[in-house]
Amino acid sequence: MPLFSLKDVRFKEIIQYPYIEIPEGCATFISGGSGCGKSTLLKLLNGTVSADSGEILYAGKHIEAYNPVTLRREVLLCGQSVFLFDGSIQENFSEYYKYRDLSPLAQEDVHGYLKLCAALFPLGADCAAMSGGERQRVFAAICLSLRPKALLLDEPTSALDDNTANTVMTNIKTFCRENNITLIVVSHNKALAETFADHVIALGGGQYE
Amino acid sequence: MSEVISLNIWQFSLIYLLLIVVLIIMKKCRINQTKLLFVASLRMTVQLVLAGLVLTYIFQNPRPLFTVLYLMVMTGFAIFIVLSRNKSINKQFKIIVGASLASTGLAIVCFFIMVVVGVSLFNPQYTIPISGMIIGNAMTGVGLGLRTFNESIKARRSRIDALLNIGATPRKILLPFVNQSLETALLPTLNSMIGMGIISLPGMMTGQILSGTLPMTAILYQIAIIIAICAVTCLAVFCSLYFGYKTLYNKRQQFINL
Repeated sequence: MPLFSLKDVRFKEIIQYPYIEIPEGCATFISGGSGCGKSTLLKLLNGTVSADSGEILYAGKHIEAYNPVTLRREVLLCGQSVFLFDGSIQENFSEYYKYRDLSPLAQEDVHGYLKLCAALFPLGADCAAMSGGERQRVFAAICLSLRPKALLLDEPTSALDDNTANTVMTNIKTFCRENNITLIVVSHNKALAETFADHVIALGGGQYE
Repeated sequence: MSEVISLNIWQFSLIYLLLIVVLIIMKKCRINQTKLLFVASLRMTVQLVLAGLVLTYIFQNPRPLFTVLYLMVMTGFAIFIVLSRNKSINKQFKIIVGASLASTGLAIVCFFIMVVVGVSLFNPQYTIPISGMIIGNAMTGVGLGLRTFNESIKARRSRIDALLNIGATPRKILLPFVNQSLETALLPTLNSMIGMGIISLPGMMTGQILSGTLPMTAILYQIAIIIAICAVTCLAVFCSLYFGYKTLYNKRQQFINL
């Protein structure tokens, strides 16, 4: 059984999805031109927006049957616009954990997740002073550390150079496979998809060219 | 204490000469607001004269209906002004703001007039000026609170989205905005309390002293009204935002009209 399946899904009269199946436990990449609904697809999957018609099944059950907040904690979206609180990395981890009603992560664990995302900065480093790429990696580390069942990444490497992007994706993919986390990635980077995708979904006729 | 001196209308009109000074300075500094100065002075004069006429009539014919009507019109205007300055909020939110402003304003007015002063709510000499101060301040507070709330939500959209995406509840995401806006709305009142009596003698107290009230009586009224203003600002902003923020998301915990 696929983890997600979409049938006849429409969103706001503009976006119409083909029949989509997303298998469990592997890395699925979503391709397509801008405006074809890649980011919206991720939002539909974690229930931050609802489809106007059609059905989305998650683990065999209609997505609307789940408690929306519980669903988002299982199907976590690491969005395109990175947000970090003013303060250190450690403070950012604990702020996000507070919003999720979780007790703060031990320092070694924070360190481990930062390492996975090639963001080995001191825990006291001020996030406001970081570059876009550094913030993106810290944000990804926070999302990863929340250990969802499915991790949705929207342009996770948009601010990273190719080498760093490869390291981060290799680590994230390995971590997800080891922990049986389904990885769904929207990325316009063709090389990244070729290297890391187990499965590609092309939207709006757009393929990686 | 000496009786209050009624202003002679010709002597009184000399005060308008001061506006000519303002006009000259504005011309000199090329401030293109001479039209506003003119319109504002004219409106202020006409509106106050009308209010004076209405109050004279009501005081001579103190019927409960007039006082109630005055209260309703005043509250209605206050709600209208707040909402016309915050057009972007949704309809449900507007209803909540209106209801909060009216109910908290009238509750504090009733408490002040009936319990603290101890006269009938239908006594226009007390109810009209005091409700004017209370509801006027509630209006300013709610206006400021709402504007802060809306602006900070718009400015921190990425924070709101990121937190929603990782599974925080909309309630937890929005409450800090409610708290911060309430604080912003309360600060002017709290700050003005600090300088009171040293830097300024507040308006109501000045008026009472001018009309011959003993200073110690005047300060008791002033203290009471300031506390009432502080309370009504706090209550009106709290109710507006605390019940209003819930209109920003649906049952599926998705943000709407944001």
